[in-house]
Amino acid sequence: MSMSQTPEPSSDGATVTEEATITTPEKEKKADEVVEEEEEEEEYVVEKVLNRRVVKGKVEYLLKWKGFSNEDNTWEPEENLDCPDLIAEYLQKQKSANEGKRKAPGEADGDESKSKKKKDDNEKLRGFARGLEPERIIGATDSTGELMFLMKWKHSDEADLVPAKEANVKCPQVVISFYEERLTWHSYPSEDEKKDDKN
Amino acid sequence: MSTESVVNKRVSKFKNMGKDLAKLREKRVSECVELRKAQKNESILKRRNIILSSLPDEEAVSPEHNDTLSFRIEDIIRDVNSEDREAQTRGCQAARKLLSKGCDPPFKEIVDAGLLSRFVSFLSMDDEPTLQFESAWALTNIASGNSWHTQQVVQQGAVPAFINLLASPMLHISEQAVWALGNIAGDGPAYRDILIGCNVIPALLARISPDTPVGYLRNLTWTLSNLCRNKKPCPPSFAVQQMLPPLVRLLHLSDKNILSDACWAISYLTDGSNDRIDLVVKTGIVPRLVELMNNKELFIVTPALRSIGNIVSGSDLHTQMAIDAGVLNVLPKLLRLPKPTVQKEAAWALSNIAAGPCQQIQQLITCGLLLPLVEVLRNGDFKTQKEAVWAVTNFTNGGTVEQVVSLVQSGALEAIINLLQVKDAKFILIILEAVNNMFIAAEKLGETEKLSLLIEELGGLEQIEMLQNHENEMVYQTAHDLIEKYFNDGDIEEVQVDTTQTEFEFKPPDVQKTFEF
Repeated sequence: MSMSQTPEPSSDGATVTEEATITTPEKEKKADEVVEEEEEEEEYVVEKVLNRRVVKGKVEYLLKWKGFSNEDNTWEPEENLDCPDLIAEYLQKQKSANEGKRKAPGEADGDESKSKKKKDDNEKLRGFARGLEPERIIGATDSTGELMFLMKWKHSDEADLVPAKEANVKCPQVVISFYEERLTWHSYPSEDEKKDDKN
Repeated sequence: MSTESVVNKRVSKFKNMGKDLAKLREKRVSECVELRKAQKNESILKRRNIILSSLPDEEAVSPEHNDTLSFRIEDIIRDVNSEDREAQTRGCQAARKLLSKGCDPPFKEIVDAGLLSRFVSFLSMDDEPTLQFESAWALTNIASGNSWHTQQVVQQGAVPAFINLLASPMLHISEQAVWALGNIAGDGPAYRDILIGCNVIPALLARISPDTPVGYLRNLTWTLSNLCRNKKPCPPSFAVQQMLPPLVRLLHLSDKNILSDACWAISYLTDGSNDRIDLVVKTGIVPRLVELMNNKELFIVTPALRSIGNIVSGSDLHTQMAIDAGVLNVLPKLLRLPKPTVQKEAAWALSNIAAGPCQQIQQLITCGLLLPLVEVLRNGDFKTQKEAVWAVTNFTNGGTVEQVVSLVQSGALEAIINLLQVKDAKFILIILEAVNNMFIAAEKLGETEKLSLLIEELGGLEQIEMLQNHENEMVYQTAHDLIEKYFNDGDIEEVQVDTTQTEFEFKPPDVQKTFEF
């Protein structure tokens, strides 16, 4: 196996000699770095920095070792390492990973909930939804396309429109009173359901 | 509602026929006045001096009634400033009714009449609940106006008074205070923080119990959301910590309005630094948020989606929590929802997930996000397409070679090439970055020529060549560099493209993938 590396100037004169055989051409970018084990003369080559953590105030890096599987990854204290390029590469990746994230683009396009609300009388409820008791019908109209009654409610001065369909079910007697008050007799009795309003 | 002809026919028969609703309103108005007159006549003794003008006509809105309005306000002033409790109540109620009008309530007139200080003083009269209620309502409505209006209310010392009212044994009064405080908090971060400083949060939370009616809870949730709202600055951390547990509980209820406002609250809280996001995700609320993204009500989906979108703009860990909670199963549906704002937010969330590590990108592929992504690239509105393009670029940035191949195979390349015609320079640059990243991946496989060919077939080369004339310098430069680097091989034009050679193959060492077009 040919060695294409040049002896690296590591801090304590690493034993990067012809004995260090674990090098491959493609590692020009990841310059061969050597971590010296305390007791032994073996050199292990860091392939990549995978992670970073702080333990008891000390920075450690998770290292992938060249020629070893991922199961052999180890955490090493920062001061033991002499692979500034690999560390820098790792940190740079972290930075761009976060740079990839983009925060919220401001207001949610007018879909947001109101910041202030006015309380309207009976909170904009109309008709039977106001929960009031019908007192009497004071008028009728079908200009909306549907027959509506103008309903006067008990304990309220504000009358509003309710659909006849609803009133017929909810307060039939009130409806009947309304019609009866307005019955007019013609020459022949009319039996149809149309409203004959006495003006 | 074009029943003119029908109407005309029956005009004679009906009292109210043949008139449009505005006129009907006027009719109702006079009807009401008549009814009231009838009542007045019964109690004429007491009201002799103020027969016509004092009782407000809720529905008189038209300009001709201006005189009547100032008449009414005069009477209100007199009543409210009197020492007689009944008159005060009457005046307050009259004011409240004026201020509750659907259209153009006279906020300024009431403020200018100097009534606010009296109203605020009424708030503390625990032995006069009606007075408390009416004045609380009146002040609520004034505070619902613009900042000036709210300021007038606050300057009269309403804040401590309302906070005290929260503890009222009368639920409707307490609820009114909740509402008023919500309006004040909603004005902006300054008042929000003043309220927080006055310990409004514990006072609010004290009112939550299993017996609290839904209507009350709705108002309370909305007010809480306003206390979470606004940035510059964000609400103080300690306040957020106080509000999170009840918000989490509220999020597990079933009332739609409560759910919506609670989601909005979370969306405000997650809109910030990663520390803020951390506070929220630590509550374990993420699965519930994802669930709510799937709700059938749009007004719940929107804030839930916004919350999750914010969360995946956080750290990789935050994003993973969202993925683990199943967000990738819901996103395709939202990307296809026929509502542009939802599509846009979904695409934005997707783009942030694609900005994560390749393991998360892999999950995007596995969960079938590529197809809907390409769909919005093709069919989405412009804002959505912009987010989708970010997704593509982020994907090519962080993805492995195989993943980028998958992306290209899904049709994303063709889709973004078609978007190169857009005028927006920044947009074009993002697309070109994606293309560049794809070439980098192709380089690793030694397949750049094939990619160039493919791009040319898709009409991309033409587009990029045209971009060299773009007015924006960066665009011109980037396009030029691309051409130089990958398309300058004169042979490309001459290479015989057999019909069989429409295949574009990436051959990574381990996996055989064929690019078919």
